Amino acid sequence: MSPAAPIVELDSVSKRYGSRTVVHDLSFTVERGEIVGFLGPNGAGKTTTLRMIAGFTAATSGRVSVGGHDMATHNVEAAQLIGYLPERPPLYDTLDVSAYLRFVAKVKGIARVALAAELDRVIAACHLEAVARREIFKLSKGYRQRLGLAQALLGAPEVLLLDEPTAGLDPGQIQETREVIRAFGERHAVLFSTHILAEVTLICRRVAIIHHGRLLAIDSPRGLQRAVAETNRVSVLVTGPADDVRDELLGIKGVIAVETHAVGAQADLIAVECQVEARDGLEAEIARAVTRRWDLHRLERQQPTLENIFLRYVSAPPDAA
Amino acid sequence: MRGLLAVYEKELASYFRSPIAYYVVAVFLLGTGYFFLYNVFLAGETTMASTFQNMGILLTTLVPVISMRLFSAEFSAGTAELLLTLPLHPWQIVLGKYLGAVTILALMTAATMVDLIPLYLFGTPETTTILAGYIGFVLLGMACLAVGLFFSTLTHNQIIAALITAAVLLGFWFVGHLQGFQRSNALRGLVGYLSFSRHFVDFIQGLVRTEAVTFYLVVAAAALTLSTNYLKWRR
Repeated sequence: MSPAAPIVELDSVSKRYGSRTVVHDLSFTVERGEIVGFLGPNGAGKTTTLRMIAGFTAATSGRVSVGGHDMATHNVEAAQLIGYLPERPPLYDTLDVSAYLRFVAKVKGIARVALAAELDRVIAACHLEAVARREIFKLSKGYRQRLGLAQALLGAPEVLLLDEPTAGLDPGQIQETREVIRAFGERHAVLFSTHILAEVTLICRRVAIIHHGRLLAIDSPRGLQRAVAETNRVSVLVTGPADDVRDELLGIKGVIAVETHAVGAQADLIAVECQVEARDGLEAEIARAVTRRWDLHRLERQQPTLENIFLRYVSAPPDAA
Repeated sequence: MRGLLAVYEKELASYFRSPIAYYVVAVFLLGTGYFFLYNVFLAGETTMASTFQNMGILLTTLVPVISMRLFSAEFSAGTAELLLTLPLHPWQIVLGKYLGAVTILALMTAATMVDLIPLYLFGTPETTTILAGYIGFVLLGMACLAVGLFFSTLTHNQIIAALITAAVLLGFWFVGHLQGFQRSNALRGLVGYLSFSRHFVDFIQGLVRTEAVTFYLVVAAAALTLSTNYLKWRR
């Protein structure tokens, strides 16, 4: 397998439980050095997809491969390349933190001579030094989550799969965990699911939006913003005749539509909503055009936030999305 | 092999860091001690025959306590998701866990040997008969544990796993009693062959018969194979 080839590949993957299809015909790839965020509401199929990639459950149809290994036939070989943190951290309460990590490290085939150093590395990366000898059942939720992440990081796997890695963490711990993921994702492939939209904008190169088991979009956060053109709006508050303002603004290249309406009782004070193309600098042109002839009170570019984009995709009927 | 050993070590650590191993060993030793004292000092027996018989029944009731957590606990705690996504073949997981449980059985068995001290001090027991009894006991335990492990793979609920295992093991223990109700020779033979207690009696009498050894090993192997295949299938 060449280094440039995608490390994770899903080709027309579906998963059915009885008559219920939870993942429909999903296809996407993840490359090395790439962090992909998996967005979707509860029950969208994120966890099932991650489980199929991790090898916990098999696809009903289609092909999942990791590092060129087909998960249906060579899941043990593929598992050597994967670090996986499920939604619920898989911890043995009867063990202490070190014993648990040692167990996972041994199963992952980390050499005896490198074991202590590797344990120290992940313990430091996940800030577990204070609880390294503590029994797991005594750990707080935040520490449990970080221990789950630590076991996934053991052996520096080629692919890191994280199912809501920051759930249950306090703001400081969330920041630390994001840093760990960001640093890890510089040289490895990371695919993680989250409900926190800001998280994907902060650390992901690409975002996949999944709903009702279908992949609705996969692109960079910026690309998704551009794609949702109708949510690119410029709001202007101006004193001037509504018809003249409308004509002036429609004359600017990139302004698609203009709506005006009077604001309060003040004569000539109007609110203008411009639907514009998704290109930078357009609001400056609008500001210049308005201020040449009238008083500009306020101008605001309403760029589509990831929340808007996400809601647009998940609230649209399946055919439209 | 290293993965299997890691699972085995983790399993043993889990047993001894929870009260289960201590509870099972303690109850078993108390029960065995009581039966031994009763059979030797009150009933006047100078062999281990009756004690082995009692140990067999006690074992079938305690095995579900050892085996119930093997996979059920992994499913209910969510750790199965780790175990089944680590670079491990299902047979390594099954065998590692099974060997952990067999180690508890071996410890229980070894601990009962303290009963032999008064037997040898005050009597002249047949060492080969006692040895055969212990071999039979360990083989019986291995078969029972494998059956318990299989039922543990089928459910998330440890109590359900234990109850089903207890019912099945007691069924296998007493199924020989149905021989008298069968008119057909074939059925009578089959019912007798399936009886855990009938094969165990051979060992207690000092006979290490290939048929009995094979029976227990085949039951264990079949249950372990079923468990492995079930784990593969449930993906």
